[in-house]
Amino acid sequence: MALRTAILRHLRVPVTGSNQSQTGFLGSIRAFSSHDDHLSKQEVVDRVLDVVKCFPKVDPAKVTPEVHFQKDLGLDSLDTVEIVMAIEEEFKLEIPDKEADKIDSCPLAIEYVFNHPMSS
Amino acid sequence: MVDKSQVLSLCRSLLRAGRKYPDYNIREYTKRRTLDGFRMNKNLTDPSKVEEAYAEGKSQLEVVERVVKVYLAYPPKTKNIMELKLQ
Repeated sequence: MALRTAILRHLRVPVTGSNQSQTGFLGSIRAFSSHDDHLSKQEVVDRVLDVVKCFPKVDPAKVTPEVHFQKDLGLDSLDTVEIVMAIEEEFKLEIPDKEADKIDSCPLAIEYVFNHPMSS
Repeated sequence: MVDKSQVLSLCRSLLRAGRKYPDYNIREYTKRRTLDGFRMNKNLTDPSKVEEAYAEGKSQLEVVERVVKVYLAYPPKTKNIMELKLQ
């Protein structure tokens, strides 16, 4: 028992995803592909809506593709910043401040992400 | 007088800078603290108070950027359990 605890105390298991190496090879191929894998409009709509629905202050039932963050969902400008940042993370984008200021509703967010060549 | 877009831009810069931490706990804390800080001061109307809060945010942004460099030099060897995707 003493031996067991002594061993356990010194045992460190590094957490590395084993599937990382599997996708690594495929991932490097996809990097060279052209725009074939560009997101479809429906996929963008679904994922943007998911991000908005996951926001704690939002009633998921109210979220539609036409919804305005401040007028329809009762969010303030800080919540909007938070949602836009969450969308950036979801699609692995960097939205410049100038553009991010303009995004205040689902239609604008969907349009921006859909037209962005780097969104994934 | 600091205007609304400058404040939101500072908020965004802080959130962006905080995302660079390799350590989950610090990353989440910075995000939480940033949003809490801005919410706490959202009703400020006195221009001098607003200036003061804005300057405080700016200096905190510098702190975040400086400390990120230290954390990137000594990243955690293991991932936090919260970062693992459930299969």
